[in-house]
Amino acid sequence: MLRHILRSLAGILWVILLLSIFTFVLSRAVPGGPWDVGDIKFPLTEHQIDLYKAKYGLDKPILEQYLLWLRNAVTLDFGSPYLAPEMTVTGLIMKLLPYSALVGGLAATLALILGIILGAIAASKQNSLLDIIINSFAIVIGTIPGFVLGFLLAYYFGVKLHWFPTGGWENQPKYLVLPVVAYGFPAIGGVARWTRQCMVEAMSADYVRTAHSKGVRQAGVMARHVLRNAAIPMVTSFLPMIPGMMTGSMFIERTFGIPGLGQYFVNSANTRDYPLIIGITIFWAVLITVTYLITDILYVIIDPRVRLEAKKQ
Amino acid sequence: MTTGVTLPVQPPVRYAGFWAGAWRRFRRNFLAMYGIIFVSIIVIVAIFAPILAPYGPLETDIQHTLSAPSLLHLMGTDAVGRDLLSRIMFATRPMLLVGVITQVISMLIGVPLGIIAGYAGGIFNYIVQRLVDFFSALPWYLLVLFLIMILTPSLNNLIIALTITSWVYPCRVSRGLTLSVREMDYAEAARALGIPTWRILINHILPQTAPLLLWSFAVGIPTLVFAEAGMSFLGLGIRPPDPSLGQMLGTAGQFWQFFPHMFIFPSLMIILSILAFQGLADGLRTAIDVNVNI
Repeated sequence: MLRHILRSLAGILWVILLLSIFTFVLSRAVPGGPWDVGDIKFPLTEHQIDLYKAKYGLDKPILEQYLLWLRNAVTLDFGSPYLAPEMTVTGLIMKLLPYSALVGGLAATLALILGIILGAIAASKQNSLLDIIINSFAIVIGTIPGFVLGFLLAYYFGVKLHWFPTGGWENQPKYLVLPVVAYGFPAIGGVARWTRQCMVEAMSADYVRTAHSKGVRQAGVMARHVLRNAAIPMVTSFLPMIPGMMTGSMFIERTFGIPGLGQYFVNSANTRDYPLIIGITIFWAVLITVTYLITDILYVIIDPRVRLEAKKQ
Repeated sequence: MTTGVTLPVQPPVRYAGFWAGAWRRFRRNFLAMYGIIFVSIIVIVAIFAPILAPYGPLETDIQHTLSAPSLLHLMGTDAVGRDLLSRIMFATRPMLLVGVITQVISMLIGVPLGIIAGYAGGIFNYIVQRLVDFFSALPWYLLVLFLIMILTPSLNNLIIALTITSWVYPCRVSRGLTLSVREMDYAEAARALGIPTWRILINHILPQTAPLLLWSFAVGIPTLVFAEAGMSFLGLGIRPPDPSLGQMLGTAGQFWQFFPHMFIFPSLMIILSILAFQGLADGLRTAIDVNVNI
């Protein structure tokens, strides 16, 4: 177990290192730097750009730049964004994260609750009309992009009915409703379908038939045998979903004008804000890979039959 | 399929071959049939857009800017008076191009890598596995967004960026399948007969993986259509003035609140298209279910 964790951590470090090199080299390999892209009303002169480049060390060879960045990054110092020199990258991410995490966390909760309920109903009424309806609903809802749903919701509930604001951000719950629904609803589809599949598989096991033939009531079989076994693949695929959604969706944040991580990532890339691009990329990558590791460990804890070392072979 | 539920007794069906059986199962699936019909319509519209569209995609009608749907402009016009119906018809082109070309290139890269890695094993397998790990450790949109930023937004670069992230799936599928097919008796027999490895790969392994590869081709397309719409929505895909469904939403700006036709028609088109491709893929999955016939 410990060996597996250590090996996974080494793997994560490898992925992050590779990703940082990839990000670093590619972002600098492209023509156009932070001071000469976009619609600039008063372009800087060559000399001014050179001065800026010297200030941020962009005139040095790329290997030297990277090693310098790596040395700082090891101590969690990712520098300052070019467009907000008074802040640090870490500070900016921490300032933006709460918005994304709130919207994404609520959306994930909504998707999980509704999705699991729908999936469980479909599985227990397998091949019935209800099952077909739920399944079709799950496919349809799962294919609607969040930002498209966002527009439709904002129009009907915002513009037509005036129930909720169509966008923007103030610290009031009513600003949250539409983004959360637009973000969470499409995710219901996937959750419901996976829940149904896991439960159907668990229901086809021999011990379920045995329990049925012993005369255990349907509810008892479901609770004691089916749910507990179906929970294993469900947990391992739904758990990574939560941090994944909490890091924010650039589509939803753009649609509703939420000042979150996704929105800033798009902007930072547009303005070639190198420290911010790399900072957010690495932050996301660490979060996602660590979640997978935790899921792996949890997998062993909830299912004693699994041995991670054996899985490798 | 399961216990606890009594399935109706199926009448005996004469076995008519794998693909005939697949088509029979496919035909029974409502979403799949919707998918194949709507996708055919999209393909026809995309090919014949210049003939079918009432106006050019960039043609402006200054007298009727932001007009609601009328007989003159069936889906209304946008802020500079371009006909929305014509723009939506032309927008099926980048949608199909991104979906199909990306998936074709991804298969051409992923499938040979997967089959060779699965068959040969060893150091090549190890390298491919690490690459796959690297690309699956991150969500596709992050990598695509990043690549697009670097390459600058355009149709070609969108295809390049999406290919870099989407060869992984066909590679994984074909590798996994090869691993199991390799151990089959007929592969063993072919090896014993001294048939060269490349012929085993092409004549014995590839045909076995074909149905599943067809599915993995289809299943990638809805995501790619979504990706094209999403990236164009963010201003990172098809650049204006060339039409794209996502970009029509992204550039609706403040107008959409007062002129709902500007976002309703592109929105519906995006939803119906992705649903069609998804239905097609799902139908294929049940039609060629590996447990049923392989």
